Amino acid sequence: MRDFAPVAAQIEPIAKRLMAQYPNGNVRSALIPILHEFQNVEGWVSPEALAQTAAWVGEPLSVVESTASFYTLFHRRPVGRYVLQPCRNLSCLINGAGEVMAHFRERLGVGHLQTTEDGLFSYEEAECLAACDRAPCMQVNLQFVYDLTKEKVDEMLAAMRAGTYDVPPLPQTEKPGRDWHVASATEKRSKGAHGVPDPNDPGGLGDASGAGMIERLAKQPYPIEVRPTRERLVADGAARLQSPASTPSEH
Amino acid sequence: MPVVKVLTEGIGEFDLRDLAVYRERGGYVQWKRAVTELAPADVADITMKSGLRGRGGAGFPTGRKWSFLPNNGRPRYMVCNCDEAEPGTFKDHMLLEETPHQVLEGILLGTYAIGSQHAFIYIRGEFERGYRIFEQAVADARAAGLLGANVFGSGYSVEVTVQRGAGAYICGEETALINSLEGRRGEPRLKPPFPAVKGLYGEPTVVNNVETLATLPHLLARGAEWFAKVGPERSPGYKIVSVSGHVRKPGNYEVPLGTPLRELLEIAGGPREGRRIVAIQPGGGSSACLFEEHLDLGYDFDTMAANGTMLGSGAIVFFDDSTNFVEAALALVRFYAHESCGQCTPCREGAHWLEVTLERILNGGGLESDIDMLVAVSHQMTGLNLCPLGDSIEPFLASVVKRFESQFRTYVRSAQREAMPV
Repeated sequence: MRDFAPVAAQIEPIAKRLMAQYPNGNVRSALIPILHEFQNVEGWVSPEALAQTAAWVGEPLSVVESTASFYTLFHRRPVGRYVLQPCRNLSCLINGAGEVMAHFRERLGVGHLQTTEDGLFSYEEAECLAACDRAPCMQVNLQFVYDLTKEKVDEMLAAMRAGTYDVPPLPQTEKPGRDWHVASATEKRSKGAHGVPDPNDPGGLGDASGAGMIERLAKQPYPIEVRPTRERLVADGAARLQSPASTPSEH
Repeated sequence: MPVVKVLTEGIGEFDLRDLAVYRERGGYVQWKRAVTELAPADVADITMKSGLRGRGGAGFPTGRKWSFLPNNGRPRYMVCNCDEAEPGTFKDHMLLEETPHQVLEGILLGTYAIGSQHAFIYIRGEFERGYRIFEQAVADARAAGLLGANVFGSGYSVEVTVQRGAGAYICGEETALINSLEGRRGEPRLKPPFPAVKGLYGEPTVVNNVETLATLPHLLARGAEWFAKVGPERSPGYKIVSVSGHVRKPGNYEVPLGTPLRELLEIAGGPREGRRIVAIQPGGGSSACLFEEHLDLGYDFDTMAANGTMLGSGAIVFFDDSTNFVEAALALVRFYAHESCGQCTPCREGAHWLEVTLERILNGGGLESDIDMLVAVSHQMTGLNLCPLGDSIEPFLASVVKRFESQFRTYVRSAQREAMPV
């Protein structure tokens, strides 16, 4: 168990200064900046950091948790020493980000929102990083790297492993697990009540991908494509008969 | 070529992060003039007359936005929105990192113009370097007496607080930004009341984009007339356009509004060897696509709106004939699904299910009816949400499904051949 008191003592003066910069005593505004400070020191936002922040800004822990859990940059689980975030959005994608991301996954042996066994790398496919002129781009511990190629990825990973990469590694106060994002750890839903299809069953009725449903539909004689019968159209009224191809967007 | 340098002047040639360099090149002259010679109303008046429209996405006239502030004697706040995250946009990122003092001077002028004494700049969490650069700029300016108490002995005092976000596209929406600035979740608020009436800490607040505010020193230096006579009458001035995608020289180019898209394509080096541009997304991820027959349209707010799309944040993505539009659609839909704050059901559920549907089309499990469903669901999401995020999927998705339907059909046909033995 690590000792949190020195961390709190180190950040306290910074937190006090941050809290003083808002007008009319609106100290809660310092909540996000204080969490950034904790993450800078510890590499993640620990439960202790949340509690300490709540005490400083004078809000219940639930408020601080609620805010912290909204923002993707706060790591609420320990992460690797290098957080690798290639951009997966449009401008990067059409300029080869797909291959770069596949290369990352292959070289690291982990997927989106996961950390390598050795605790060195956490990997996340990020959204537009506002550097589309030098696509594909990425951030390493929030520092930009541009014009990515597979070769550049290999060089980068080798330099990080050798400890010679020019972006400093993040502090690491605790060993990270494989899934570093809280969201991905809670993605599995509960089994639900008796008789309710299990959403975790791949291909089952509750499978969110819809794969199972499609398979079943394909096997059954009934309809992949539902065509309204003439009888139904008549029942729906003459207007509908005249333009059976009314667009779904008219709803 | 009509590339002009107003806001981008000196970038790449001088270290404009250095206060001395910026001042040598005329920096803070207008700030001093405004505080010592002009009344706040004069600055607001010049802005109103210039016809400057907001550069963040909505294109609302800046002078008019300021005029909505009530005269109720309450404290007012100026918030500079540097939460740039619209897919394809990278102009504020450049301004923040390359000319922080120009941005700061603009913020100060805007703050003075609306009669406020406290400004905030909300910087996107990912712009860690930009945040440090801007903090330094504010510290340098404070040390030089450019902000703080009794600026230039005028009796006017102003404070600037630099805030960094933590990764949420939605915080670019002004009420979400205000919530985030107050230490809350970045969820948009119900409007009205608009921020001009009840914004930050419940007080009248103006939220302006970085580029909008950075234009102010130039308006003061050269006059409203200079700006108003550039470009189309109702959409005047210069604009930094972020060009990316399938072009040879992607980058930020400052041009007069009204410049034809074809010219912008040429400025950005034109299409790649042996390729042809088939689609243009002219205003960031939330805008509908235009196509090759639209290349001669002028790039300004009203022309874009008249053609069913928007100028938005001024980010153009060109797509050539190598593009897989099913993948492109998934990239954008996934973005909105990821960034939806989850408050409004149509946006949260609609975006998620569109993502699932597009994924299954791409993975070969799509149905013919899925294609109509994409259009229907994205349409049904529209107009039912607190903020425009939920309305942002339909324009791109519907326009590419309509135009490149054959690409979508190819995926589902091959899937159905496998699924249904004939």
